[in-house]
Amino acid sequence: MTGPRLLLLALVGCLLATVGACAPPAPQVSSAAADAKVASPSAEPPYDIRPLLKPDHKYLGVAFNGSPRATSPMTAFTKKAGKQPNLREYYAKWGDPFQADVNRAVWDDGQLPFLVWEPFSRTAAQIADGEDDAYIREFADAVRDYNRPLALSFGHEMNGGWYPWGSKKTGAADFTRAWRHIHDLFTDEGAADVIWVWSPNVINPVPNVRLKPYYPGDAYVDWIGVVGYYALSGPTTFRTLFGPTLTEIRRFSRKPFLIAETGVQAGERKPAQIADLFAGVHARADALGLVWFNLKKEADWRIDSGPLSLAAFKKAAADDSFGFDVRKP
Amino acid sequence: MERNDSTMQLPVARPKMRSRVAETMQLRVLRPRPSGYTLSPVPDSGWSAAPSSRRIWVSRLVLLALLVMQAGLSLRLQNTAFEDEALYLFAGHAEIAHLLHGTPLYGAFDSYFSGAPVLYPVLAAAVDSVFGLAGARALSLACMLGCTSLLYAMTRRLFNERAGLCAAGVFAVAQSTAFMGNFATYDALALFLLALAAWIVVRTAESHPLLVLLAAPVAALAVAVKYASALYLPTVVLLGVLTAYQRRGLPRALGRGVLLTAATVALLGAGLYASGYLAAIQSTTTARAAGTTPSWTIVRDSARWGGLAVAVALLGAFSYVRSGRMSEMPGWRGALPGARWRAALGLLLVGTALLAPAYQLHLHTEVSLHKHIGYGLFFAAPLAGVGVTRLMGAHFKYPQWAIFLGVVLLSSGMSQAYDNFHAWPDSRSLVADLRPYMNAHGSYLADTYEVPVYALGRDTSYRRWNSTYTIDYTSRSGRHLTGAAGFRAAVSDRHFTLIVLDRGNPTGESTTVRDALVHSTGYRLIGTVPYATAWGSSRFELWAPS
Repeated sequence: MTGPRLLLLALVGCLLATVGACAPPAPQVSSAAADAKVASPSAEPPYDIRPLLKPDHKYLGVAFNGSPRATSPMTAFTKKAGKQPNLREYYAKWGDPFQADVNRAVWDDGQLPFLVWEPFSRTAAQIADGEDDAYIREFADAVRDYNRPLALSFGHEMNGGWYPWGSKKTGAADFTRAWRHIHDLFTDEGAADVIWVWSPNVINPVPNVRLKPYYPGDAYVDWIGVVGYYALSGPTTFRTLFGPTLTEIRRFSRKPFLIAETGVQAGERKPAQIADLFAGVHARADALGLVWFNLKKEADWRIDSGPLSLAAFKKAAADDSFGFDVRKP
Repeated sequence: MERNDSTMQLPVARPKMRSRVAETMQLRVLRPRPSGYTLSPVPDSGWSAAPSSRRIWVSRLVLLALLVMQAGLSLRLQNTAFEDEALYLFAGHAEIAHLLHGTPLYGAFDSYFSGAPVLYPVLAAAVDSVFGLAGARALSLACMLGCTSLLYAMTRRLFNERAGLCAAGVFAVAQSTAFMGNFATYDALALFLLALAAWIVVRTAESHPLLVLLAAPVAALAVAVKYASALYLPTVVLLGVLTAYQRRGLPRALGRGVLLTAATVALLGAGLYASGYLAAIQSTTTARAAGTTPSWTIVRDSARWGGLAVAVALLGAFSYVRSGRMSEMPGWRGALPGARWRAALGLLLVGTALLAPAYQLHLHTEVSLHKHIGYGLFFAAPLAGVGVTRLMGAHFKYPQWAIFLGVVLLSSGMSQAYDNFHAWPDSRSLVADLRPYMNAHGSYLADTYEVPVYALGRDTSYRRWNSTYTIDYTSRSGRHLTGAAGFRAAVSDRHFTLIVLDRGNPTGESTTVRDALVHSTGYRLIGTVPYATAWGSSRFELWAPS
């Protein structure tokens, strides 16, 4: 082998070694985005949920045992109520995976899934400090790939003292920090179809807990979801049950509100109070609708706890302003 | 005795001199018999070193095969329009509308384009109007095929056919050639014009001195098409001087160089005076903003994209300086250029290959380096061709070297061209998802707005779009704002109908805009469009007023 050829061989060897040793230039991709499993563009266009944020009609929602997987309770409720709800509320524990297929089935059945996320296993501070970021990102990725609307409430009734994330065990600062952190991670993962529902309990049982410190801010919230029940004791009208809470909320936010969880305890007043509830929601332009807690838990909140109650519910729900096709708002 | 004489007679045509000597020596010589074999005088070589039509046609057929392969290597690359292609094409359409119908021009293309907006963009947009993006890219392919043909023609004149074919082969399989051959930007046309100018100066080296002036308008046009082409004008002029010097001597060669330089500079000066593009030339070329790419990265990628071809050219240059003989015909005694001339030619051609990497090292930017490598490679390729022929040796003694080089150059060129051509996302999904949001009065902001503007065609207008680089915004409170403050105010005022951010390739003030959006009550993320490139995956974010 002659000199020039040896020289060339050496040059080629050096070049190949250089090329092999050096990774190609990486593009500027955020760490989160770089981890995204995006092999091929999605065939479906992104779902724009904005028409669902302030629809012309009211939501008629329901929560029942077995939701969201069970379908027969929804069929039974629709048959009894005379109208199919267009929002289905269900509860998920912190640590549970997001069930895209189940939520897709709910959506395909004509209801907006409303997930109430309950952080039993982690404190708000731990979440805010990023201890569960991997879980949150995985959850957000699944929500993003689901590519359909999802209403999501984290740590509902935070102003009450009965949950671990409530006011007795969790500071307002940690709660809002956790909320914003989760929101930011969802945004970072591109989970755009989430309607963020900040969901305090009515202030009547906890008059000394101010709501504003628990509010993450309008940039992080789409709906305010107020939880309140017509119990045998306590406020008996829409105005007295929800009025004080809404008045306090309106001091720091103009976001529309949903009665995120409600019901009327079985009793003589139930038919009248059902009518009052629907009338109260109907009367307020900033009210998005209501979610009926159709369970027998601690009390009988079901619509068919009595024939008069059921008749009252059917009559109120028959109002055209309640219920609409969420897939064509 | 007679028997002996007859026994000694061989049926050989004896040279006359010998006969005379024999007769002088009074030897008896018999007359040749009418039947038997007669051997002609044996020549020193079985073929001629002189050009022949057979050799020309065989070479052209091989060149044709190389061109077909080059076209295949380019056309195998498939992707939607890159932002530069989209920009030049929609700008070209705007320029055409301005020229034909007087439609006012917005966007000040002449202030930041790196070539005259009325040349390539108009030509490419005209082709695009009829044949679409594929047509505009085919224009580039034609230019690059022209480059390879001119390279062969030039190398054949400088050296020989075999070196010309090897040079064409090295150039045809390079990643920059395949890339530019399917890429609708200035580059292919500018390189073609430079190649044409280089070929003219070599072709007219033995002709009348004034004929070298034919290269002047071509070279000037190359610079007008892409300002950075001026970097290679000295090479073209010096090539003309060197080739003329070999035949005409130094004074006449220098005279040609001065003539060509003066004519080219005069044309460029006149063009510059008439167009007023000086500011754009400064901002995009001569005083381009420095980048932050580390020197090592630029050196490494230059080596990856063109290092082997330049190494072969360097080898060819050394070999050529050692021995200028290009013919392998035994006993060939042609006129050989001197060693100093050969060294000068080697230095000029191989040195030119280093111009673009050196300039980009100076600027610390790697933008378009993978294309610019191709400019230098065109000039280094003739010596790479010489290098390959020398490695093969006379009579193809070591064909394995050419095969080895061919395999390495082809495989690396193919993979690099594929990676570089898929460095940007396929925009079909994005464009389809943006279309519903287009309206005549909307205002849009995007990281790479050029792509949707071009792809959406008549569904939108470039006037409705803003990049994330600059903004000139008057807020609702009446304050005139630019830069990051302008973007923040525009987000705060919900000025934009839609904002498209590229998470994988944030440009300009994109990060500022996103920060403002994330903490804004006026906008919400309404969707994402995932994409994958050769370097990884990411997504576009679509933000709209909430």
